[in-house]
Amino acid sequence: MLNQFLKWRLIFIALVFFLFLIIVVCLTIGPAPGSILNVFLILAKKILGLTFFKPEERWSSTFETIIFAVRLPRLILAALVGAALASAGVVLQGLLKNPLADPYILGISSGAALGATLAILLGVGSSLFGAYTLPAMAFIGAIVTIFIVYNISRVGQQVPMGNLLLAGIAVGAFFSALVTLVMVFSGADLHAVIFWLMGGLANRGWGHVKAILPYFLVGLIPIFLARRKLNLLLLGEEAAQHLGVEVETLKVILLGAVTLMVAASVSVSGIIGFVGLIIPHIFRLLTGPDHRILLPVSALGGAIFLVLMDTIARTAAAPLEIPVGVITALWGAPFFIYLLRKKKGTVGF
Amino acid sequence: MSVVILKICDVTCKYDTVKVLAEVNFKIRRGSFTGIIGPNGSGKSTLLKTISKALKPNRGTVWLNEQDIYRLKAQAIAQQMAVVPQETVISFPFLVKEVVMMGRSPYLGPWQAEGKRDYLICHQAMQLTNTLPLANRPVTTLSGGEKQRVIIAQALTQEPEILLLDEPTSHLDINHQLEIMELLQRLNQEQKLTILAVFHDLNLAAQYCDQLILLHQGKIYALGKPEEVLIKKNIQEVYQTNVLIEKHSLTGRPYLTLLPGNTLTAQKAELRNKHIHVICGGGAGTNILRLLVNQGYTVTAGVLNKGDVDLETAKTLDIPVIEEVSFMPVSQASHCLNLEMIQKADACLVACIPFGHGNLKNIEAVAFALDEGKPVFFMEENKNDLASRDYTGGKAEKLYHELIKRGARTINMVNMGSGFELSNFIRYLTPGPLSEA
Repeated sequence: MLNQFLKWRLIFIALVFFLFLIIVVCLTIGPAPGSILNVFLILAKKILGLTFFKPEERWSSTFETIIFAVRLPRLILAALVGAALASAGVVLQGLLKNPLADPYILGISSGAALGATLAILLGVGSSLFGAYTLPAMAFIGAIVTIFIVYNISRVGQQVPMGNLLLAGIAVGAFFSALVTLVMVFSGADLHAVIFWLMGGLANRGWGHVKAILPYFLVGLIPIFLARRKLNLLLLGEEAAQHLGVEVETLKVILLGAVTLMVAASVSVSGIIGFVGLIIPHIFRLLTGPDHRILLPVSALGGAIFLVLMDTIARTAAAPLEIPVGVITALWGAPFFIYLLRKKKGTVGF
Repeated sequence: MSVVILKICDVTCKYDTVKVLAEVNFKIRRGSFTGIIGPNGSGKSTLLKTISKALKPNRGTVWLNEQDIYRLKAQAIAQQMAVVPQETVISFPFLVKEVVMMGRSPYLGPWQAEGKRDYLICHQAMQLTNTLPLANRPVTTLSGGEKQRVIIAQALTQEPEILLLDEPTSHLDINHQLEIMELLQRLNQEQKLTILAVFHDLNLAAQYCDQLILLHQGKIYALGKPEEVLIKKNIQEVYQTNVLIEKHSLTGRPYLTLLPGNTLTAQKAELRNKHIHVICGGGAGTNILRLLVNQGYTVTAGVLNKGDVDLETAKTLDIPVIEEVSFMPVSQASHCLNLEMIQKADACLVACIPFGHGNLKNIEAVAFALDEGKPVFFMEENKNDLASRDYTGGKAEKLYHELIKRGARTINMVNMGSGFELSNFIRYLTPGPLSEA
């Protein structure tokens, strides 16, 4: 078993390295292509303040702007959103003991969509949040939804997971209906709403990264601290309690953490489906159900996956941008089906 | 360390307004092996859930090592008390060794990896529970008995002082039931582990526990050693069932036999009015006595010497018997009492017994039964095999042939199949109402 920890560490380091490599490679792809070396040098100059060669001779300042101010924040955002959705998926699948659980199962997406729709179509909150009205409204919509769902399902001091699931689905359906209703009656700029609902990272910059990073970190830390306890929860809530877990407290903490991460992600990227459902399953097939490895590799895997998918979305039909949610499903679903067939019966639910 | 590890004080639990447990009080000594028994709905599982803090009682509390468990953190409890549920559903393919290692969680911080000591404890727990050969198998591939052993191993890695189990054997086959019970007994005796378990099976509980708590309608009906708790009166009152309670010949613990179909039906009530007198001895009557009692007949027996196996059987079955002093021939006094009993009976049955000078009077009593017009049945292994059981120089045999001539019938035990085919035999015995025979 000691070897196992070594193996886990190696997998983790390999994935971190791979993520970094993928980001660098994806930075070079696009309408203004550049060499990997140049991208490295730009990153070194901008981030570490190191200057090699004479930059002016190797690339134009426009290219530097494209790489650092346009592509890099977008890729980092993709990595953050991918990691957030995948780890939220892992946590919710474990917490609800339900293979169909994804980050949106408790109605977060519908709440965020309602907030976003209100912002886009009715301009609600624009005087308050300025340029960030859309993400702010989506974030508020998501948080309010989970607050409602949580309180509906609470019985005394306890929150039965079955109640939570059903309340989430009911509230989600209600909010989705409201979104449609608002769209029908406004009759205005439906294109923007539909595009947001399909999810995408076009035109996002450092501002968005800075906006969601705190929520991302605040959410990720408690989830990582609870990795062992998540394993125990898979034995059932009573069994977990008998093994020393304060189950109700843990559920509240995990739900809060997941809500923050997913709400922040949805607010900047719209509803990107599939990542949070399939990435955890793929890595559960590859590494087994132990959350101590499943959680970090799923987070990294989600990040890598979304960085790749976003690059495809951005470049495959340029200058047209394909919603990234479409790409994630087109690539991810067949790959998952392949894994499912190959490792029959070990999916773990 | 105090002698009392667990103190249950005035625990009352309600579901809505129904009291499931009412003012339950008891103490568990360190090192004891206690079984909680009682019929369905008597509050066994609720009591165990209360003790394991899975359920908070409406009133009362539970003291674990003199600390109120409702004020203790789950982690602190998990370091002193481990719980094995009735059945654990693990749908994720964790390896057995990983599941066992989870028992170390109460001792490990969030970033702390398992150390050498943790592996050692796991290894020992798996050795004790004989789960080492399963270590690298996914827990999803295990059978019920194997999984239960793995869960017990997990519980042991918690290094608990007390182990709670909720019907740990109820989903298992008899061989696995014994395996688990012997494991628990070993842990109790060798590791000095205190065990408190709910049992469904009264016999398992009686064989292995040194203390039993019998629950009835949410209250403690009886508490004490198995032989004090498992008495006929208690079982009849609490389970509404007639049982036969004997001393197990090997362990000396009480052993319960269910008497099939012992609930009183109209037909049985009618049979109760049928009185059969059995002449037996030396163990030849044991089966037939049980059989008749099970069927609901009123049964008497005689004359039997003190120390006779059939006499013991008759006593455990509450059958009235005419007794004679050990090794003495049937006295005139006993013979008269026997005749009185036969007079009251509706039929007389003679088991397949040997006759000597000592019990020759018994066959004379059968003659009296025929005089009185009672139907008489001789049980035989072979046709007219009484000769081979006659040690009176032909006197018994002669008497027997006279009786057959006068209308006594024989029942061939071989024709009834090996042993006693219950229904066939009864049909044979009572083709119609006995009075017509």
